[in-house]
Amino acid sequence: MSLSGLDLMAAAAAASAVWMCGVSGVQTQLRGLVLQTAAIAIVCMILGAREHEGHYYGLALVVFAVKGAAIPVFLSWAARRLGVRKDSGAYFGPAIGLLAGCAALVAGLFIGRDLAVPMGTSAGAAGMSMALVFIGMLLMTTRRLAISQLIALLTLENGILLFGLTQTKGMPLMVEMGAVFEILVGVLIGGLVIFRLNRSFEHIDVTNLRELRR
Amino acid sequence: MIPIGLLAVLPLVVAGLGLFPRSSPWLPRAAAGLMTLQVPLVLWICLPAFSGVRIVWGDFAIDGLGAAFTCITTIVVAAALIQASFLLPAGRANHPMSDRRFCLFYTLAGLFVVAMYSAPLAQNLGYMWMALEATTLMSAPLVDFHRNRASLEATWKYLLLCSVGIAFALFGTVLFFAAQHGLLQGTLSTPGLMATAKSLDPKLLRVAYVFCLLGYGTKAGIFPLHNWLPDAHSEAPAPVSAMLSGALLNCALVAIWRVSQVVSAAGQDDFVRSLLVPAGAITVLAAGLMLIRQHDLKRMWAYSSVEHVGLLVVAIGMGAGPIFVLHAFNHSLAKTALFLISGNILEVLGTRSLSKLSGILRFAPLWGIVLVGAGFAIAGSPPFGTFLSEWLLLKTTFTGNQVFASVALVAGLTIAFLGVMSHLAGVVFGPESDKSKLKPVPSWAAAPAVLLAGSLVAGIAVTPTAMSFLKSLFEAAGR
Repeated sequence: MSLSGLDLMAAAAAASAVWMCGVSGVQTQLRGLVLQTAAIAIVCMILGAREHEGHYYGLALVVFAVKGAAIPVFLSWAARRLGVRKDSGAYFGPAIGLLAGCAALVAGLFIGRDLAVPMGTSAGAAGMSMALVFIGMLLMTTRRLAISQLIALLTLENGILLFGLTQTKGMPLMVEMGAVFEILVGVLIGGLVIFRLNRSFEHIDVTNLRELRR
Repeated sequence: MIPIGLLAVLPLVVAGLGLFPRSSPWLPRAAAGLMTLQVPLVLWICLPAFSGVRIVWGDFAIDGLGAAFTCITTIVVAAALIQASFLLPAGRANHPMSDRRFCLFYTLAGLFVVAMYSAPLAQNLGYMWMALEATTLMSAPLVDFHRNRASLEATWKYLLLCSVGIAFALFGTVLFFAAQHGLLQGTLSTPGLMATAKSLDPKLLRVAYVFCLLGYGTKAGIFPLHNWLPDAHSEAPAPVSAMLSGALLNCALVAIWRVSQVVSAAGQDDFVRSLLVPAGAITVLAAGLMLIRQHDLKRMWAYSSVEHVGLLVVAIGMGAGPIFVLHAFNHSLAKTALFLISGNILEVLGTRSLSKLSGILRFAPLWGIVLVGAGFAIAGSPPFGTFLSEWLLLKTTFTGNQVFASVALVAGLTIAFLGVMSHLAGVVFGPESDKSKLKPVPSWAAAPAVLLAGSLVAGIAVTPTAMSFLKSLFEAAGR
């Protein structure tokens, strides 16, 4: 079985997500997010070339501009302003994190095979997108910093985007674009809340927010 | 032909006015006035829909269900903004804030209302998803209006948990599209999906439904996914709590109704029922148990919202559209009244702790009467509307042979009644707490009193004719 370029790029996105499970530096994680998004934008362009449809190129551009450039730059600026460098993880360190990431990848592959559209050309990509969704959930629950949770949410959304791209025939463009736009607004609002968290609590460690646990 | 866009005009005017900090002295009253004006306007726009005419505008349409929920949302928002016109300026005296920040409240509230109109009117799963995501984004900053540590933490929890939830709903929506792989052209429009429902891939359809249920269920506060809800609803300022509980929960429930409709049309009615009925019944039971141990007035109403969401989910699961609309209406009226009157109490007495509050009936008789009345209404006592809708729902579950669910519902409702009543008795009776900084203003109870009267009328007006009218709302929609 030879891998198509599309499967290869989907695998690259998932691999960068697994790598993100094993790093603790916030800036490094953001680099992982950029790689991941770039791979998905390339998937989008491959689809455009295959289907001869111009709007895929537009979507690739928007996805990369928003999730691969604007959001990482904003979050990286925010991390520097807040003075956060490392997220040591809530339950375990990076080594076990990497292992858990691999486990999520395998689980994603198995479940993705079941969800893949029959007679579709990219059953592998379905597994990779499920892996991204699982890794997003894993990162969400095992990180300490509010900013890392936003990165986890973006990873999860990337998985959904990849699934939508590879497993459906022409998902309405408005919905894909709308989702990208809303995630941009969401991250901006999330960023503002993080700045305010930092001002009130003097940290952004979500495991240490205890105001409501009376 | 009336364009649907007309619905959004007045909320957008409020949002626009909020951009001008100089309007802060008169904006609260102007916004209250505009949203009160919106009530007859919305009724007029929705009137054709009530007699069975669908007003279509692109991928949005006012059908019977949409019209009912648009009206409920408008009533709740009007009452909330009327109350905000007293509460927010009074609150500003204690916690100074800039004009810009104060006016931003109205910008966000206006946009929030537009998003809440779009959700039940969208006839396309994609647009419905976008509208619900927009409601989270617009309301999260509203929760943090007071900017203290607790409200900030609640905002973060709300924003993050609901964003994750709504991401699952997006995945579900994508799967709904993927389930049409056998067809030439896919669609996300609900009428289109229902027309071709039989040819959808059943396995993908089920997975899609589970993901949508997880996503919109988080937003609605179904039991294991509810834990952001009591925080956000109790830490927000009272008018926002009222909008979140009285209007936003309904939007998420309508989303669940719409996806359930598609899955039912595909002949998977049993699957829908087997998921929703136990989920709703467990929610009611769990919320009832949690209502016993409450220390905070607004938090108690938030848990009671979880209980009513459970009831509404059971109604959706049984496919009982008329009961769903009726109970949503009754719950919204009573819960809005409760949050608004609790906001008055918090503003004047400076606490919402159940152990510190007592003697409200002596301190402010009118507020006390409305509080007790609305408390009875929310606990489902006659002669209020909630009693009838809960009764009809129990009748449906019993005749539908849902023995486990019926028993859980009866137990949950009983426990919830006892919990609410025992806490409420401590608040309204007993000696007056002497910490009052301000004198109570009787007219602050006006909007909640009107809502309570509405709930009373709804309790009397439910006749077979009214039920067949509610049934007619769903006739065009099938199921």
